[in-house]
Amino acid sequence: MLPFTDYKNLGARLNTDITISPKLKAGVNMSFTNSGGYRFDADRFGESLTYYSGRWDVRDYVTPEGIQQWRGTNNPIFGAATNRLKDNVNRYIAGTNFSYAPTQWLNFNYRLGVDTYTDNRIRTAPGPRGLPGERTYDNGDGLIGDYNTSYRAINSTFLANASTKLSKDITGTLRLGYELYDRSSKNAGILGSQLSIYNDFRLVNAKVFEVSQGKTEYRSNGFFGEANFDYKDFLFLSLTGRQDITSTLSPENRSFFYPSASLSYVFSDNIKLPEFIGQSKLRLSYAKIGKDASPYSTSTGFSNYTGLPTGSTGLTISSNLGDINLKPEFTDTYEAGLEMAFFNNRLSFDVTYYNSLSKDQITRAQISSATGYVTASINAGSIRNRGIELVLGGTPIKTTNFSWDASLNFSANKNKVISLKEGLSEIVYGAATGGYINSPVTFKLIPGQPYGNIYGSYYLRYYGTDKEDPVYTDKNRPLLIGANGFPISSLTKQKLLGNSQPDWIGGLTNNFSYKRLTLSTIVDARWGFEKFNRLENFNSAFGIADYTSDRRSYKVFDGTLANGTPNTKQVWLGQSLGPDGVNYGEGYYRLYHRSLSEPFVQDASWVRLRSASLQYALPASWLPAKAIRNASISVTGNNLWLHTDYYGLDPESLSADSGSNVDGSAGMTYPAARSFLFTLNVGF
Amino acid sequence: MQKIYKYPFILATAVTLIFQSCGKEYFDELSANPNQVNVPTLPALLATATSKAGLRTYDAGSVVTPYVQYTANPTAGAASDIYETIDYTGTWDGMYFAMADINEMKKLAASTSSEYLGVANLLIAYHLIIVNNFWGAAPYSQAFDPSNFTPKYDTDQEIYAASMKLVDDAITELSKTNATIKLAAASDLIHGGDRAKWLKTAYAIKARLLIKASKTPTFSATAVLATLSNSYTSNADDAGMSTFTLRNSWAQVSRNNAGLTLGGWLSEQFIDHLNGTSYGLFDPRLPKLTEATTVPNNLNYPKWIGTVNGAGNRLNPPNNNTVKDENYISFISPWTNDTAPILLVTFAELKFIEAEAAFATDKPRAYAAYIAAIRANMLKLGLTTAESEPYVTNPIVSVGAANLTLALIFKEKYVVTYLNPEAWNDARRHNYGYKNFGMPLNAVLPTFIRRLDYPIGERSKNGTNVPAEAPRTTKLWWDL
Repeated sequence: MLPFTDYKNLGARLNTDITISPKLKAGVNMSFTNSGGYRFDADRFGESLTYYSGRWDVRDYVTPEGIQQWRGTNNPIFGAATNRLKDNVNRYIAGTNFSYAPTQWLNFNYRLGVDTYTDNRIRTAPGPRGLPGERTYDNGDGLIGDYNTSYRAINSTFLANASTKLSKDITGTLRLGYELYDRSSKNAGILGSQLSIYNDFRLVNAKVFEVSQGKTEYRSNGFFGEANFDYKDFLFLSLTGRQDITSTLSPENRSFFYPSASLSYVFSDNIKLPEFIGQSKLRLSYAKIGKDASPYSTSTGFSNYTGLPTGSTGLTISSNLGDINLKPEFTDTYEAGLEMAFFNNRLSFDVTYYNSLSKDQITRAQISSATGYVTASINAGSIRNRGIELVLGGTPIKTTNFSWDASLNFSANKNKVISLKEGLSEIVYGAATGGYINSPVTFKLIPGQPYGNIYGSYYLRYYGTDKEDPVYTDKNRPLLIGANGFPISSLTKQKLLGNSQPDWIGGLTNNFSYKRLTLSTIVDARWGFEKFNRLENFNSAFGIADYTSDRRSYKVFDGTLANGTPNTKQVWLGQSLGPDGVNYGEGYYRLYHRSLSEPFVQDASWVRLRSASLQYALPASWLPAKAIRNASISVTGNNLWLHTDYYGLDPESLSADSGSNVDGSAGMTYPAARSFLFTLNVGF
Repeated sequence: MQKIYKYPFILATAVTLIFQSCGKEYFDELSANPNQVNVPTLPALLATATSKAGLRTYDAGSVVTPYVQYTANPTAGAASDIYETIDYTGTWDGMYFAMADINEMKKLAASTSSEYLGVANLLIAYHLIIVNNFWGAAPYSQAFDPSNFTPKYDTDQEIYAASMKLVDDAITELSKTNATIKLAAASDLIHGGDRAKWLKTAYAIKARLLIKASKTPTFSATAVLATLSNSYTSNADDAGMSTFTLRNSWAQVSRNNAGLTLGGWLSEQFIDHLNGTSYGLFDPRLPKLTEATTVPNNLNYPKWIGTVNGAGNRLNPPNNNTVKDENYISFISPWTNDTAPILLVTFAELKFIEAEAAFATDKPRAYAAYIAAIRANMLKLGLTTAESEPYVTNPIVSVGAANLTLALIFKEKYVVTYLNPEAWNDARRHNYGYKNFGMPLNAVLPTFIRRLDYPIGERSKNGTNVPAEAPRTTKLWWDL
């Protein structure tokens, strides 16, 4: 998608099941994957592409001598071609399991898994060659970087199961288990810059070095038990309890317990129901889940200061303020559900209602630099989620040769911040994430409001004698127009402009099969949410957005002056001296439109055809009799069609990295790909 | 596998794993962050403190140079030239993170070393003064407290008083000669561990603070002169930081410009100040600060010509913008080459403070200081007496004690504070009264800029405490 970038993936997998004796079975599975490729910073690419003048062909990026073809701004394709990062990951995942059943009512299970990988990254950029007119973009004086990460996670689970008949009608099962998880990740890297020979990409050729190094280790243990009771095979009760011990909290807080209880009533097996109603179940449950912090959230200290050359060392305060008294977070969820099937499973539904309250949520809040820290680990407060989940399925058509079954899933969640840690009136988790002048938006948690609120600067509006709402901007009110004929920005004042969490999400899966042919389609939707569109903010500033073509025309902005009268002043939307003799400076789009958040916090709702797949099962007569049992070929298309009002790239893209909780800002990222897969499945 | 081995094997594996976890140490050994050090050392913090003081001086200088028109932007209508609001969250954060590190050194030195304590007090004051110069009111009394995520803002004058107290405390501590733990020479990137030099620098910062209030009713010229008598006596005392990962930050700007990532273009105001256009006398320091233009095929093209603030790159057809037809910050200049120090405060600047303080009561002393300052700066730039004297003795410069004016003092001081953030204080006190100093082209403010807007980062994270927005033409408390 981005020139000079690629991704390759090669994997192998082996699974075996071994029967050591009638009572003892074992299994081993192993998989090995090698993946990697050349990467480039999509944000930088998008930014440089926006700056690049439309007069020139951006694909003409290099001169015959091999230096950048300079047209006034840096060419992003030259950047991708010369400033390279290649990663190579070797990942090995292996597991072994044993199950031993000494008697009919007792069995033991032990599972051990290892996930380990090494990630090597090499960065190279050539130095300047001293040729006339040479522009080096981000390559500086050349660089060579070699970074290595090694990761190892071990997971060991031991389980004992016992089941017995407690009375004539009740069967009981008791399960006890112990789980251990141990994870270690180490990294070390060195970046050499100032290359003596411009294209000799070896560390020995560099004059200045920057070293980075780190280690993260984590352990957790869990003891758990589960008791299941089965009354006459239609009423089921399940009780669980788990004690977790973690290395990420202080000794006083590191061990915590959480239980759950659930009741399941298959009333179709208990009560006589009409013929057309199949299996039906009523479910009720309460569950408490405890969770620990990310590693080292309780510590504060000093890190290496990187502003010194080799030969000097210094210490600087580490960026995160840890909290030694950090407590685990707990979530209490109450759930009620009903599932029913009709007409011999031709139609079924499953609906669940849940109400979930999370307390003492652990998060890294962004705090004022006047504290000396960038972020602080805190028990942020409590947040409530409640909603419904619905799955509707059925087989509308079923004949000898043709069948169509469909499944619809729908969920809607309402979120609310109930309270915050004492002393805080708001917690910022995404501060000022990019944009021109006063357009950067803020994401913060405020009691009484939901997660995902987007706060930004807005157009001033005319309220007359009415009171102006301090939180919401009333878009039904007329814009306030200044004496110069242009609308007015609220500058640094911010109001609630949107929310990044959807009102509902849903999907529809359809499977059509005719004899040997099967067609499956998946349609996804995420509806009722907004995002701050950084890409459009950029494009408005550079006259790339299609609506900016009106900048060679006059406009009378629809709105009201400060004194309440309607605006009639005609202004030129272009730059510098307009045909009316007035100097418009940088012009409407650069001086006004791009300078505030409101035009760019927009509806990002989307519906897409996520995938469509056509499969043909080869008839047995075509296959060599003994060698191949079955075979099928299929062609699948992913991301085939998208409907959205969002400007620019796919609104599923994010400005932040995939591990971030800041999901309300998008633009200048890798766009989502449309891909096609051809698969051959052969069974031996 | 033999029956006899199976069961014990499984049991043993499970049991070892369970027992491995039982000890408290099993978790304790992983709860501390191995990537951090819990107890720092004074030399390690000193290296960071002095390095940051130098680099933050560059950051502050970069903010100031377009406003005092040392530099101009090659793009017409650039935000920094035309007084548009700019988000300086990075600069603000840099100052506070520097103060936080230096505050750790202060806490560590509080009962152990008067020398380190003195340097810590002085360097906190140094950064706090920069914040005060740019924004006025700022957090300080509630800052650096891990239990307070939203420190309140002290007023403009409270910050001024707090920085004065820090400097006075620094002077008290640095005056003590019997410290058991002395400054580590290799870690002190400004004065190489010399306590006496730090004491003089403390007096220098104090003199700067006092002269800043020159227009306020409580100003005392005698206090300034008394402070100066304890401060620098020659260029050798100058405070500068020259330890860089790669090179001097201004040299980097200059090299980037040569590689055509444009920056560091000198303003027409500064060049005309030096090339004779504004004051009628060519200043021999000009070729030492920058390099002459190189325009092919045009022998009559002026060698010394700057960029007009707000107007951008001169068009000069048929040359495009790859031709060096204006002057830029130079990496050959002794002031801004790869190994040059970033200067925090210089002897020449202090001489001008002396001239300004003595002006009202002792004109001969003021005049002597004025001339000495110019000579010191020329010497620092590597001019020989043969090169500097024609300028110094010229009647345009050597006007005689009776004809000395404050305008002349500020005029010459403007050259000496080249690229230093202190220049903005002087410009504001002098009402930007340098000859031919005009508003930038297409400025968005009606008059000269007097302060910065609070950073967006602070409004996001500490919004309830940040003062209400005020126009950037609002004067700070001492700017009367």
